[in-house]
Amino acid sequence: MALITRRRLGQAALASAIAGAGQTPGLFPAFAQSANPLRIGYGMALSGGLAGNGRATNLAYQIWAEEVNARGGLLGRPVQLVVYDDQTNGGTVPGIYTKLLDVDKVDIVTSPYATAMIAPAMPVVMQRQVTFLTIFGAGVNESFKYDRHFNMNVVGDNMKETYAKGFFEVIDMLPSPARSIAITAVDNEFAQKAAESARHFANQRKLRIVYDRSYPPTTVDFTPTVRAIQSARPDVVFIASYPPDTNGILRAVSELRFQPQIFGGAMVGPQLAAMQAQLGPILNNLVNWDTYSPEPTMQFPGVAAFQAKYRERAPAAQTDLLGNYIPPYAYAQMQVLEAALTRIGKVDQAALAADLRANTFETIVGKVKFGPTGEWAESRNLYCQFQNITDGDLERYKKPGAKVILAPAALKSGSLRAPYGPPA
Amino acid sequence: MSATTLTDPRGADRIRHLPFWLGAVGVALAVFLALRLIGNEYGYYAGYFVLQYVVLASAWNILGGYAGYVNFGAAGFLAAGAYTAIFVRKAFGFDLIPGILCAAVVTGLLGLGTGYLTLRLRGVYFSIATLCLAVVLQTLVVNWDYVGGSRGAYVIRPMTIPPFASYGEYIFLVMLALAVITVGIARTVEVSRLGRGLQAIRDNERAAEAVGVPTLRLKLMATALCGALMGVAGAPLPYYSGYLNPDAAFSLAFAVNAIAMPLIGGAGTWAGPVIGAVLLASLQQAATVTISSALNLWIVGWILVIFVTIAPRGILGWFGKR
Repeated sequence: MALITRRRLGQAALASAIAGAGQTPGLFPAFAQSANPLRIGYGMALSGGLAGNGRATNLAYQIWAEEVNARGGLLGRPVQLVVYDDQTNGGTVPGIYTKLLDVDKVDIVTSPYATAMIAPAMPVVMQRQVTFLTIFGAGVNESFKYDRHFNMNVVGDNMKETYAKGFFEVIDMLPSPARSIAITAVDNEFAQKAAESARHFANQRKLRIVYDRSYPPTTVDFTPTVRAIQSARPDVVFIASYPPDTNGILRAVSELRFQPQIFGGAMVGPQLAAMQAQLGPILNNLVNWDTYSPEPTMQFPGVAAFQAKYRERAPAAQTDLLGNYIPPYAYAQMQVLEAALTRIGKVDQAALAADLRANTFETIVGKVKFGPTGEWAESRNLYCQFQNITDGDLERYKKPGAKVILAPAALKSGSLRAPYGPPA
Repeated sequence: MSATTLTDPRGADRIRHLPFWLGAVGVALAVFLALRLIGNEYGYYAGYFVLQYVVLASAWNILGGYAGYVNFGAAGFLAAGAYTAIFVRKAFGFDLIPGILCAAVVTGLLGLGTGYLTLRLRGVYFSIATLCLAVVLQTLVVNWDYVGGSRGAYVIRPMTIPPFASYGEYIFLVMLALAVITVGIARTVEVSRLGRGLQAIRDNERAAEAVGVPTLRLKLMATALCGALMGVAGAPLPYYSGYLNPDAAFSLAFAVNAIAMPLIGGAGTWAGPVIGAVLLASLQQAATVTISSALNLWIVGWILVIFVTIAPRGILGWFGKR
């Protein structure tokens, strides 16, 4: 069971050490390994609103730890993951991280998922000058300016000037130029920053913004919102939403038969298997922000093998069945950690931070290089279009062709289809 | 009204106050010294978690326990305190202690205003009104960009505050002092004319009014005091976590625990919320780092069901009955 991870991984580490006894020159090195595991601690949303992605991240970490242990461990020590459920509640996070660092005395800490849980951990790790690898945070270090913070997220450090760039590159692919855009975003950190970026590029390209509103996260009926957008007759619609509202918006758009030239933006949800299965053809021709798609242009070494392993275990772990969103990045985050620790040869927080800052890392999501603020030095926001979606069958999302990459140009794998809407 | 309310033993009250305050300060010192001897920062963070609920539950008890007016808006008042601290920090550069004082004033006034508007409602109607207040406040905060709005607000705190060993120790001591003061205020209210008047209101408001208890005035005093202390519980929250967003500040856990803790410990007595808060918050903190899951609220729910069934007057009532 995923929730009793410490015990399970303790057993796994022990089993690994015992198994390793047969592979190592003598019995004693293996015995020494099991007595001194390399402990990596983190809080994670294993329950609550963000549990879907939290559990997926945790599974990716577990797969990495098991693989490392099967290879004989890291720095000659078996890896042990120490995980606590933060319940998607930032209030639990300071306690969890002081427990990890002061009581459990873990060697390395990584972050919870995502911004609202990462931020409360920052003062705790900063006070102890611990190198902090975070996952899918959005601009957390803009305020803290901590020089040992490294975030695994394609968004980069200048969200306003980079995030929606790809979406507007897709707009340029329309056969007749778009003249107007509607923007709407849910009231939260990530969505508001995404909408800010869309406004930036719309103004830069002199697109007329005919609708620009936010809505509260508690909104359940999106028919009035979609009708208002529809009545403004935009050529393009940019939505920044979270899973519950994404679902509501797309269903309202489908019911009202609203078919602008391009519809999509920064909708969180269509990246996940559960929503792909639920929405089926409603997703067809949606142009949306993403992090990974199994297109030929993204077949980085190791990603297919990881996903095969992940998909095998996802049903039992009660998490996202496809692992096309956060899991490859979670695994890559651990690859980065592994490479840096292997290079410096010891657990030294200052040396680890220096190594992470200085080097480029080969991972299953491609090359990763951190910039001065600890974000990716170069952003890589994908804008994918769902194509040929006729039903909720998830098998198609394991192969190329269902989520075609339109931007950035370096990873482009297909052509834009317009307008948005399910196939006739 | 009980027989004790017919007398006014002020002299006896004065005599009883000193040992209480000495005892409370002694217990607080013992707790602090024990944690310092252990020398582990985690103790301070876990201790803060428990103590914030001691303050919150004791504050809730003033209106809910003594007067019988069930307030479902505890999270709203706590968040109002937290966001007041954020506002005065950003606007005037006020640090934690002035922030707490401002939060007490603002949420006290908020409590007074809420009381004025809603105390003509009784029973479930009053409870619904307080629940609505939390929703209104959350909507206000979500749309107020100056305090972070929906994005949340960062509070970059110093790493240490001399002469304290760490910021964790400092914020724990602040919350410890707030807990002692709040419990002291709750006890003072309980044994004062105000408390007796509130108890009379709880037992039978019309009868109390008939015998001359100024019900509206007492209820307004109670809502103001209750609001101020709940705000005090919330003011250090952004300093504790370094970041606060509306979801965390208006968390359901605060609203549920504020009610569950006094009910489990024994509502209507100053010691009941303390016992309930220490018991439940410790259990929740232990659950977070042992079984580690959202079973926290599940545990609270079950304990509440068990107590409501077996010991409806809480732990103190259970032992008192025997």
